[in-house]
Amino acid sequence: MTEPIRTIMYTCPYVPAEWIAAHGFEPRRMIPMPTDGVSIAPRVEGVCPYARAFINDAAGEDAAGIIVTTLCDQMRRAYDLLVCGSNTPAFLLNVPKTWQTVAAQRMYLDELKRLGRFLVRLGGQTPSNEALAQVMKKRGHSAFVPDAPVLVGPIERKAECPLFVPVAVVGGPLMQRDRVLFDLIEESGGRVVLDATETGLRGQPRAFDRRRMAEDPLMELAEAYFGIPDASRRPNSDLYAWLKEELAKTGPRGIVFHHYVWCDAWRAELARLKEWAGLPVLGVDSSGNGETNVARLRTRIHAFLEMLE
Amino acid sequence: MTAEPEQISMEQWDREYARLRTAGLTEPVYGGPLSRHVADGDTRLLKLRFDNSPAALRLWNFLLTEEDRLRAARESGKKLVGAMKDLGTVPVMAYSLDTLVAFYPDGAWWIPCVMELNTGLLQIADSLGIDESFCPVRAMLGAFVTEAHFPLPDLLTCSVGATCDDFSAIAQRLNGLGHPILWWEIPHRRQAEPGEQAVTLPGGFETPRSQVEFVKSELLRVGVALEELAGRPLDDGALAAGIAKANRVRKLLDRLRHLAFTAPLCPMPALEMLIAEMLAIHFCSDQDETILVLADLLAEVERRVEAGVGHLSTDAARIFWVNPVADLQAMNLLEDCGGRICGTEYLFAHALDPIPTTLSPMEALAQMALADPMVGSSFDRAARVVGDIRRFGAEAVIVSRIPGASHCALEGEIIGRIVREECGLPVLEIEVPSITDAATATLCTRLEALVETVKDRKE
Repeated sequence: MTEPIRTIMYTCPYVPAEWIAAHGFEPRRMIPMPTDGVSIAPRVEGVCPYARAFINDAAGEDAAGIIVTTLCDQMRRAYDLLVCGSNTPAFLLNVPKTWQTVAAQRMYLDELKRLGRFLVRLGGQTPSNEALAQVMKKRGHSAFVPDAPVLVGPIERKAECPLFVPVAVVGGPLMQRDRVLFDLIEESGGRVVLDATETGLRGQPRAFDRRRMAEDPLMELAEAYFGIPDASRRPNSDLYAWLKEELAKTGPRGIVFHHYVWCDAWRAELARLKEWAGLPVLGVDSSGNGETNVARLRTRIHAFLEMLE
Repeated sequence: MTAEPEQISMEQWDREYARLRTAGLTEPVYGGPLSRHVADGDTRLLKLRFDNSPAALRLWNFLLTEEDRLRAARESGKKLVGAMKDLGTVPVMAYSLDTLVAFYPDGAWWIPCVMELNTGLLQIADSLGIDESFCPVRAMLGAFVTEAHFPLPDLLTCSVGATCDDFSAIAQRLNGLGHPILWWEIPHRRQAEPGEQAVTLPGGFETPRSQVEFVKSELLRVGVALEELAGRPLDDGALAAGIAKANRVRKLLDRLRHLAFTAPLCPMPALEMLIAEMLAIHFCSDQDETILVLADLLAEVERRVEAGVGHLSTDAARIFWVNPVADLQAMNLLEDCGGRICGTEYLFAHALDPIPTTLSPMEALAQMALADPMVGSSFDRAARVVGDIRRFGAEAVIVSRIPGASHCALEGEIIGRIVREECGLPVLEIEVPSITDAATATLCTRLEALVETVKDRKE
């Protein structure tokens, strides 16, 4: 009888799934459901619904471990509530906000090594370079998120669907019910040609370099993941550089910008994006519970797409 | 010349000022009657009650003339360093170079209160997409746009990493408007793991040696920028002298806090003590004068304690206050409701601890930066609060939430839980906006309920 594969839960894109898998665990990037009722984070006002939902869902799963990161202050502090409200071993990965210095890059690499030691304490095995490279090779082009619910299907480029209005969706992470955003865009005659949310293309690391993967796979893994652009980085110019390239490639006529209430990092980017993009931008916020927002959202998206036609 | 301790209004202060002048009061250059600041727009002063000592008058005048000092410093050829999200590290470095003056742009968060929303700073922040879902420190954005509250600094630094999302996002917005920022990273403080060398930080928290080394490297980067700006090296000798001066400020504050929080009668009201504590993190743009202002205040407090005089009654409820308030009037309200401050954690308890002088200066500063209660877990912060509750003998705790601040929504739960478990004290969470007028009745009801609970427990 073989031992069941044990799961490690996480949600932040800066957690390399390959590193978890190489230690013998099943990485599960969790896309949470909104929290209704009792929660291990009792307060609602002022709390990012995504952070609240993640710790609540993660605590309720039968996982071997949970990884939280310091990508935002709310997640960093939600970790404290998680360790109070759950017996599952949890790990807080320090993800530096600065990214241009060797010291910050080094710190991220060291944090991955520390994560490795945590996984070993949970019964995992330290992978050899070859084993890690092998796992990394399996990933291919798309993100290695075996159990994550798919929020949006393969993106069709504008040339392939000329009858639809091409739009980009930009923002932080999305919860399961937020897929309604994509449904409403399609229902209103649009087509998402760029999913630049954390749970979309933007939250994925670049493709691995084969040569470097063979030479020093952990270093290559760290560089690829640390290169993910995000609003919370300081400065976050890499986010705009990435957006510039992707918007040029995909050619949307407008941008739907999504953020959660109380998510400061993304909320603050809306005005800047409007100034920068040179495209119409529709800002939509949500409490994470798609059901309550759907009527308002439908009207707004419909009007926005009508304007773009 | 010195009257009995009393809390007086602005109008009363004007009369008292005239009396003091006649009696021979001498003042520094920034002295004068408090009411002149009202003419400059600081209308909230009309609603506050102030301690009636000349030392408190000097403190207020020092605080309210910072902008003049910054402009004078620039005119004299000094370079200005805006140290953002920095609770007592970069200013110590900057003041080690005599051609630099550091200030705290985040201090603009009190402008909407002091000027009673008349400046339009929050509206400017709104127009830049930084609305009321952010902490009132968003007023800083407006201050940068108008340039009406402080001159634009020659160098802007900002700590990021284990800091609040609000400020980080606001600073990024500022950066996006074309203000260059030197970002330096402060990692989330964690415990050393097996096999890692641990360092005990000033204040008692522990962290691995690797984190201290990392922060040291970040501060060295800041140091290079300061050297370039000053046009002279920032060597260990200069830093050690800067640290010694910062420690003089901290020593004065330590004595001041001890007396103010433990004397049978409160020798200095909460409002003046809040202002005094704030001087520790940025020196109000003049480190030497800060020392004189605090020394004056301490002398007054010592005199009162010695004479057995003070404010409030001996049975005032002894309250420990967590987080600074956006509306200064809240401190008056607590006293109106029968409470007195006996311990504080205004987000920078570490900046009141002496900086170690037995270590290399950069090592000492790195350790101090990591000792910040806000860069660690809420459990750490709660532990610091519990330690200080015991030190000062507080009887209840108020966790004062800052509207919109990312840390406030989550940490209060843990701090409250630990304080109840460890100290068995009642804990009250309140939210204090920039102007509390509309909520005064509710706020007072809650404060009175806490005070009553404390008094009931004594009986």
